[in-house]
Amino acid sequence: MKQIPDKDIIIFKSCLITVEYPGIESSTKYVFDKLGIEYKILEDQTCCTGLGHYSDVFDQFTTSVLGARNFSLAKKYNQKHFVMMCATCYAINKKVANILNNKSEVREDINEIFKESNLEHLTYEKGDIDSTKNLFHVVDILYKKKDELSKHIKYDLSDFKIATHHGCHYCKVHYDDTIGGYRNPQILDELVEACGCETIGFYDFKRTTCGSGFRQRYANKDLSMDVTKDKLQSLKEDNVDILVHLCPNCHVQFDRYQNYIDDDCKTIHLNIAQFIAIAMGADFNKVIGAKAHTVPIESILTDLKEVE
Amino acid sequence: MSDNKSDLKIGVFICKCGGNISETIDLEALKASLNVEVIEEFENLCSLNGRKIIRDGILNKNLDRVVIAACSPISHEKTFQDYVQPLNAYYMDMANIREQCSWVHDDNEKATAKAINIVNASIEKVKEAHAVDPIIIHASDKVAVIGGGISGMNAALSLAKQGNKVTLIEQSPSIGGHMAKIGKVFSPVKIAEECGMCLLNPILNEVVWNDNIEIITNAKVISSEKRSGTFNLVIEKSPRYVNPERCISCGKCAEACSKEVPNSWNDNLSMRKAIYKPFSQAYPEAYVVDMENCDKCGDCLRACPMRAIKLKGEKEKFPISVGSVIIATGHKLFDPNLRPEYGYDRYEDVITQSELGRIMGVNGPTKGKLEKLSNGEVPKRVVMIQCVGSRDEKPEGHLYCSRVCCMVALKNANIIKHKYPNTDVVICYTDIRTPGMFEKYYKHGQANGIRFIRGRPGEIVKKGDNLVVRTENTLKRQFEEIEADMVVLSTAMEPSEGTKEIAKIMDVGTTEDSFIKEAHPKIKPIATDVKGTFVCGTAHDPKDITESIMQATAAASKVSEFVHNGIDIEPFIAEIIEEKCTVCGDCINFCKYKAMTMEDNQMVIDPMTCSGCGNCMTVCKQQAITINGNIDDKITATIDGMLEGKKDDERRILVFLDQIGYTAADNIGVNRLKYPESIHIIKVHSINRVRPSHMQHALENSADGIFIGEYPGDLMYDEVENKIERLRNRLERRGINRERIMFAKVYIPYFTGLANKLIAFDKEIAELEDKE
Amino acid sequence: MKNSKSNNTYEIKIEDSPLSLAEDIINDIKFSKEKGLLKCVQCGMCTSTCPAAQHSNYNPRDMIERVLEGDKTILEDDDIWNCFYCYTCHSICPVGNSACEINQILKQISISEGKADEKLKPFLGFADSYYSMAIGAIPSNFFEEISEDVPGWWDFRMKLEDIREELGLGTISPPQEVVDEVSTLLDKCGFKKCIDKIREADE
Repeated sequence: MKQIPDKDIIIFKSCLITVEYPGIESSTKYVFDKLGIEYKILEDQTCCTGLGHYSDVFDQFTTSVLGARNFSLAKKYNQKHFVMMCATCYAINKKVANILNNKSEVREDINEIFKESNLEHLTYEKGDIDSTKNLFHVVDILYKKKDELSKHIKYDLSDFKIATHHGCHYCKVHYDDTIGGYRNPQILDELVEACGCETIGFYDFKRTTCGSGFRQRYANKDLSMDVTKDKLQSLKEDNVDILVHLCPNCHVQFDRYQNYIDDDCKTIHLNIAQFIAIAMGADFNKVIGAKAHTVPIESILTDLKEVE
Repeated sequence: MSDNKSDLKIGVFICKCGGNISETIDLEALKASLNVEVIEEFENLCSLNGRKIIRDGILNKNLDRVVIAACSPISHEKTFQDYVQPLNAYYMDMANIREQCSWVHDDNEKATAKAINIVNASIEKVKEAHAVDPIIIHASDKVAVIGGGISGMNAALSLAKQGNKVTLIEQSPSIGGHMAKIGKVFSPVKIAEECGMCLLNPILNEVVWNDNIEIITNAKVISSEKRSGTFNLVIEKSPRYVNPERCISCGKCAEACSKEVPNSWNDNLSMRKAIYKPFSQAYPEAYVVDMENCDKCGDCLRACPMRAIKLKGEKEKFPISVGSVIIATGHKLFDPNLRPEYGYDRYEDVITQSELGRIMGVNGPTKGKLEKLSNGEVPKRVVMIQCVGSRDEKPEGHLYCSRVCCMVALKNANIIKHKYPNTDVVICYTDIRTPGMFEKYYKHGQANGIRFIRGRPGEIVKKGDNLVVRTENTLKRQFEEIEADMVVLSTAMEPSEGTKEIAKIMDVGTTEDSFIKEAHPKIKPIATDVKGTFVCGTAHDPKDITESIMQATAAASKVSEFVHNGIDIEPFIAEIIEEKCTVCGDCINFCKYKAMTMEDNQMVIDPMTCSGCGNCMTVCKQQAITINGNIDDKITATIDGMLEGKKDDERRILVFLDQIGYTAADNIGVNRLKYPESIHIIKVHSINRVRPSHMQHALENSADGIFIGEYPGDLMYDEVENKIERLRNRLERRGINRERIMFAKVYIPYFTGLANKLIAFDKEIAELEDKE
Repeated sequence: MKNSKSNNTYEIKIEDSPLSLAEDIINDIKFSKEKGLLKCVQCGMCTSTCPAAQHSNYNPRDMIERVLEGDKTILEDDDIWNCFYCYTCHSICPVGNSACEINQILKQISISEGKADEKLKPFLGFADSYYSMAIGAIPSNFFEEISEDVPGWWDFRMKLEDIREELGLGTISPPQEVVDEVSTLLDKCGFKKCIDKIREADE
């Protein structure tokens, strides 16, 4: 098992969370605070380029230049670890770290660009950031603190039918580092269970992509929605109330487009941090960010009962 | 011939090894660097033509000493000792420019420079060589065969028939192994399936009735110590709780027992009692109590008419001594839950080929009737998925092909087609591998209507009542969902836990897949790297019954050679100078190997036990012990040769390894891993023979670092470690950095670890030099 | 590569070097699987797990075969644009290849050869938003369609600042000096040139 930190952490801001589901960020902070995890959020961090990268606009080199710039903040703020809220930020940053550490010609080219730009303080030295030791997803940190979650749980959500959707870019890109398996991912199920709830476990298309496919959602909408529909159909057959996510892009795909695909689908969509924050008793408007949701959270989550 | 070292006529014979050496090392440059009487190169020196070249060189030019620059002495020292006749075998030295040069380095120029150093070292070494003759010793005719499956039984039987005394050790309560539960077997030539048990039973009976075989079941080897060509094994036997002498297998005990547990012999597809007989032909022919599941109610005790049951018992440990060991500890099957996309855990009707074998076996849970486990119906379509866990580089998978699964799938598919022609059988495959005669069986299967879809399925899910296999049909370039009501996974063969355990206990080398590794994949496919220990069956690699039996009988034959021809021992061991010895006995306790005994008021050294470490020499006040072969001077000369012509900006690190470490170092080359060219390896008989004065000499004569590797199981390990620590302190006082000497553990199986250590040490030394 | 089709026969000429395309891919900055590509045995497990293969004519196994044959027509094949970048094939490939990474690299080659301008145009807004805000927000050319498809979304976006304030979160975009800094870097690394080229070709 990889070593997971609980301090010296920079929470890495996600563009999609910022503009689509800001409540994921506030919920993550809320849960981290409850668990005593020390972190910083930096205003000079920029986006990982993920959406542009996977729409083929940002090539790997450009993405790596901007990645190296973000990594330099670790030294500047004397925090060793980055923790991503978005699966794609997680995959992109780990990939960039591997390239910077293992492909010396690329590293030198990038440092040359920093030099030419009079930004030598951004220079990346081999090993500055280790893909496995310094880069994490929020679920990794929560997994480490799994056994402490129950102490903070206020509401019992076990009456709801809960399923999980594991973002591909958390599970499958750097599969050697994935906690809880990637062929039949379990980490979200284990985290939900740590809150005293059960999930439905396996369902058809459990490990399938959300269907956003980055460009597909916009340029190839029918194909994108067909794939999303497979999963929605399977969830509908299982009468799922809550689908728990770990990636804002999947979140957009399901929450925004669920009723575009099928008017009759009632499933609500929560990020794992939102789910835990709700169970801990966080305020829907001040922490969870319920107003950002297209499928209203309150349609399911009413009259929550407190744990005994 | 001359005895003056500078006048010695030396010949260097260089092997190109079919490009293995000559494609990396510039042989012209190597030759140009040498100043000796004869220099020859040849494509394959180990061939008979090579022998002619070497002999002609020796005889025509009156050579005194010979250096063979070729592969590792571990591969071919014996060959070339023979080829240099009439010269004494030890007037020849092998410069290992293959395993430790051309196979571990990519840079031609640097590899060539290093090869020159290695050859120089051998030249200097042979100049100091003394003529000695090998010692031959005979091994005991007692043999331990570990594992009572089809391989172990055949090896035991063959040995016993040749007059050897065999102890057959089996971990489970009965001999028989996997073959007993396999149901039907088939022969590709007859194109017919036959009853496996009917073939196995005569062999089993023969093993039982042979007076030369002692069968110990419920037992495992827990330790092994090798002394004097003898293996002292400690066996731990678990209690059976039923006296096999009294038990008549009437079964009344099992009838009385109320505790039901899954029957592992039926792959847990049926239940058995806590007192049980594994299968009806089991040997010993007696019941056994599964104490983990027994609640000691005593019902069986009361039901037994023979008073054969006793519910108390302790594990019993006892030693046996044997001259050789055959490892036949077999395989286990890949856990299908490691590929959860196939839903083995989720769906009752997703099963393994082994389970299908039990279901189709007349002595199995359904008495041979093909039934779905979910509802007892005959399946309408069975889909088989090949390569589950095989040919798969992803975590927990195996890179290798398990070799038998194509035939196993074809066999089970054919049996289904014979009995249930209306059941559609589809095999999803990547490649059908049916070499040789097995191809005929494949055609037979096709003629029977077995269908084949080329594609590796991605997942299995349930839709309604049926399973759905999602796969691409690669030949149609089409994504397909195949409805099925039974799916059978052809899971990989992997080494059994017993195989992994025994490898550690016997300290035999293993492959990267944890199978027992042969001494050489081509020319020594049965021997392991521990003299006197052999391997057969699926402990060695995936194979079928036929091949297992062939290898088992070959192993028996190899043991026979060993028993009848004896063992060559390198003669570099201690010897008592009787005129000087006062028989004080001080050396007896000082020798860690316990090689010294006092017999008839004389000191005697057991040549099989003495490692030639030289420890005794330091304690003998009379200086009455010597070691054959002028080892001290040979080591110094080798060091000097290795360091000859070193440039200022160059780094040379000397690595001293004994047989174990050297084998590990060879394995680095065999597996084509890399380490820096600065690494120069010197083989010694015992690490203890590398004296502090040798190391100091090396460091003071431009060596940049010294790496001593020792196997922690070596009895001298602690001694050597302390000695090196003292030397480091002494060197520090003389202004030499203590970090220049590295002492590291080496193991034959962990050659990757050794390579990493060598790389790290080179880096440390480089950093050290930068600092200084 | 001068493979040509005549009489329905795909000719492999003696002077062709079929592996050169594969070698270009292996040497690409993105590729992480070293020799994995060359070890492909066409088992089809990538396609067996591919969402795009289930719903379109995209076939990752076939794409790899064409790469290994040096068939450069793959660069202009519209089907490769259906990949979801879900990396399922990458995570299960039994020989350690990654069809997903190769797909991305093929597209980058196609883009650099000027064969994919049309595919990129709708997404150039990602570049613009990085220049203006240093984040990769959904390009505004899609807003109208999203507003139609997702009721309430536009209202939400209008109130975003207020909602963020209620949640105690900071500004959307980093400070201007950071935006300037990354703009400089984007110019220097050749990104701007690429984007401008696509835009110019459009005009």
